Amino acid sequence: MGILLFITVLVIAACGLVYELIAGTLASYLLGDSVFQFSTIIGCYLFAMGVGSALSRYVNRGLAYRFVCIELMLGMIGGFSSALLFLAFAYTQGFQLLMYVLVMMIGGLVGLEIPILMRIIRDRYRFRDVIAHVLTFDYLGALGASLLFPIVLVPYIGLVRSAMLFGIVNVVVALWSTFLFSNLITPLRGLRIVSVVILCGLMLGFAQAKRITTAAEDNIYADEIIFARDTRYQHIVLTRFKDDIRLFLNSHLQFSSRDEYRYHETLIHPGLSAIAAPRHVLVLGGGDGLAVREILKYPQIESITLVDLDPEMTKLFSTNPMLTSLNLKSFLSPKVHIINADAFPWVDSNSDFFDFIVIDFPDPTNYSLGKLYTTAFYKAAARHLSAQGLMVVQSTSPMFARDSFWCIAETLKQAGLQTYPYHVYVPSFGEWGFVIAGTHDYKLPTTVPTGLRFVSVASLPPLFQFPPDMAPIPMPANRLNDQVLVRSYDQDWKDISH
Amino acid sequence: MKTGRREFLQSASAALVGLSVKGEQRIAGSFVNDSFQLGHELRDRANFPAPIQIARHAVVIVGGGIAGLSAAWRLQKKGFTDFVLLEMNDRAGGNSRWGENEITAYPWAAHYVPIPGPQAVYVRELFEELGVLKDGQCEERYLCFSPQERLFLFGRWQEGIEPAVGLGAADREQFQKLEDLIHGFRESGHFTVPMEIGLSKSTANLDQVSFADWLRDQRVDSRILNWYLNYCCRDDYGATTANTSAWAGIQYFASRQSEEKGPLTWPEGNGWIVRRLLERVGKFVRANRMVRKISRRGTGWSVIAGDTEYRSEFVIFAAPTFLAPYLIEGMAPLHDFEYSPWLTANLTLEHLPKSYGTDPTWDTVFMDSPTLGYVDATHQSVRSRVDRSVWTFYWALAEGNPAANRALLLAKDWSYWSESILHDLERVHRDIRSCVSRIDVMRFGHAMARPRPGAIFSSERRSLAKAGGRIRFANSDLSGFSIFEEAQFRGVAAADGILKELHGP
Repeated sequence: MGILLFITVLVIAACGLVYELIAGTLASYLLGDSVFQFSTIIGCYLFAMGVGSALSRYVNRGLAYRFVCIELMLGMIGGFSSALLFLAFAYTQGFQLLMYVLVMMIGGLVGLEIPILMRIIRDRYRFRDVIAHVLTFDYLGALGASLLFPIVLVPYIGLVRSAMLFGIVNVVVALWSTFLFSNLITPLRGLRIVSVVILCGLMLGFAQAKRITTAAEDNIYADEIIFARDTRYQHIVLTRFKDDIRLFLNSHLQFSSRDEYRYHETLIHPGLSAIAAPRHVLVLGGGDGLAVREILKYPQIESITLVDLDPEMTKLFSTNPMLTSLNLKSFLSPKVHIINADAFPWVDSNSDFFDFIVIDFPDPTNYSLGKLYTTAFYKAAARHLSAQGLMVVQSTSPMFARDSFWCIAETLKQAGLQTYPYHVYVPSFGEWGFVIAGTHDYKLPTTVPTGLRFVSVASLPPLFQFPPDMAPIPMPANRLNDQVLVRSYDQDWKDISH
Repeated sequence: MKTGRREFLQSASAALVGLSVKGEQRIAGSFVNDSFQLGHELRDRANFPAPIQIARHAVVIVGGGIAGLSAAWRLQKKGFTDFVLLEMNDRAGGNSRWGENEITAYPWAAHYVPIPGPQAVYVRELFEELGVLKDGQCEERYLCFSPQERLFLFGRWQEGIEPAVGLGAADREQFQKLEDLIHGFRESGHFTVPMEIGLSKSTANLDQVSFADWLRDQRVDSRILNWYLNYCCRDDYGATTANTSAWAGIQYFASRQSEEKGPLTWPEGNGWIVRRLLERVGKFVRANRMVRKISRRGTGWSVIAGDTEYRSEFVIFAAPTFLAPYLIEGMAPLHDFEYSPWLTANLTLEHLPKSYGTDPTWDTVFMDSPTLGYVDATHQSVRSRVDRSVWTFYWALAEGNPAANRALLLAKDWSYWSESILHDLERVHRDIRSCVSRIDVMRFGHAMARPRPGAIFSSERRSLAKAGGRIRFANSDLSGFSIFEEAQFRGVAAADGILKELHGP
């Protein structure tokens, strides 16, 4: 009996600490600033424990019964805490509020359980032994949990399932306690039935936990998924590993926060810096606001019009603190006008002129996206260029999809434009390509904005040279009625993966 | 595995939530704009009120399909404006009529034009005027977008309608043999669009046998190839190969070059061309004017339609030619004009079926279906995202006797036809019922001239086609089959013939 009792103490102590660690880790993942998150969460948790301990004096009758109830509540709240927090982050604005409420509830319940347990067993041992043993096993449990958490739980089980797993342990303790204190508890049967029901719920949750964060596809993402949402138009996934945040749209990597500056600086500055006095800029696609961040480095620019299909995408990158810290709140600039519309019909129906047009669409993986890479589309877009205007087109990889890259360049050419293809190395992507196009000659800029991390005037000329393994190859243009690009893109990537 | 679990959950929750929903989602719809009623009044020589006014024009055009509108286009373009066009329905368009709902415009029948060859001079002239052709090149937006066509056969999809999967060595050999034969006919220059240009008595023997018999004589017995040829004949002529003249079967393939990526098409099908023509000649069109009598009056004509008697020097009869003996006083009955009955339907889809596969195509055909499949009206949209759509479903009642099929069209109600359509689609799209909110059905008793054996070189047809004088026949059925280029050619030729008589050569 004795050793079993103290193992109970060890286990429940471990459970409480695991919930607290999960909350701290989740908050650091999702909100950043881990020192602040852990400090406030540990503080709240300890304070709540104190509140719980203080309240324990008001629990007078049916101590064993109430102990089991506390364990069940802890198992349930703690077990689902991580899943609830992920969902709250993805679907509500109230992540932080919910997190502190959960931490307070868990802390309060943990604060209640130890004093009550001590009082249950105080008649069986001398007082000084009760104190010594309970606290010893309490701290032993905490040590075990704090070692288990970073070494086993986070890397192998994941945050959602770890919480569920310890919720299960909590409920097993409750069930086991009904046997341990069977002579002290009435009604016994009802409590056991409730325990089994909660246990089943948690086990089901454990089995299904992957779905909650990842829609069952996190096997394709290397890192922890911190955000996943199906919008009307696409599947948005954010992953995080240490300081690296990655955005995936329909499983295609859009950027890695570690090196996206290489992509976005190279997308924007070679073209935009070459225009004498740019005032109006159009961005098609680019719902992450990172291209706009670069464009805002030109103070003379008066307006930036961004057309992106998905309102949830632009809203996410306007409001989520982790993401606005990446795009430097570019969407909140008064110069920026966001229009959620399908790009091709918008380009057809709008009649404004722009000095610089950024065309930054997802790769042409299907015929619907392929329409945005046709001579018809480029002709329609070019009608919006001012006299000094240029456009730049995201053109996939000249290394991995060489046919496709040169097909896009040829398509722009056959749309009646002069083309200037170039490329950059982005570690998370590999070699990536762009094409500057316009109705007049393009000359390399003589100045670029200050404070850039990659682009400089001296670094530009080599970007426009293609080594033999990326050199031009003759390709037909991509047309609405003959989308050669979609087929070549498909083939290019197949060739790599086999 | 991934989707398996998701699907399981979806179906499980659907089963829990929606046992009642699963039952029967109501699909709305009705028959649309049938002209059966009007036609039968005419056939039965119903009692019409006498006209109360007289209108005088040099030329009256009867029928506002492509032939009639093309005649009007030609007259106006030549600076001649003293004419009217009388249309039976409330809107001109004929087989190129179209509809529109909040999702898209959609065709009711003819829905594309192949890229015109060098001999289709009038089509090229019209298309240059409409901006479809620019310096001989087709405008990209009017060419059918990728991916164009697909066929469901042997339980899978393939791109293109000509079967390419499941062919044995013998099938391939026969495909090649037929291609070689067709190549020879093409080189002969006797099979052209429009057909009048190349038509030669030296090919008349081909008109005496059915396409099916001719194929048998060539030892083409591949089941897959015969399915395909039969499909082509049903699609263009509304008839099986057994009811199609070999000449017409060969014309289908030999009259066109192996073309660049086409055809030309629009959301509302050839209704787009009608719209453009109506912008130009709409002011000459009198709708809801069913002609009920055409008789000689002096050297000219009296044409009675609605409450008006139109007196003219010339008549262009652009309505289906089989109507002529019912309308023109003293005209002998016709025997060589047979027509295929058709049914088309426009289905409103709230979402695409999950069984759709990947990228939506323009034209979808199921092998061994009695129908012709469907065309997606939103395919020509430049939008990159289309949720709701309209499918135009085509069904030529090709098997059996046209008169019996016309009777069937009239006898069965809307739910019979909509059920049949859903049944056909369910072969491939098992979830189609959950996608469709509306099915509108249009019945065409005489949709297309049927080029049965002997029809092309029929003396009756040839003499009407060549008739000069004060009444000119212009319907495409004078070619023996109903396609846009033939209708346009005959409409323009009739207008030119009359202008020549009026102004001299």
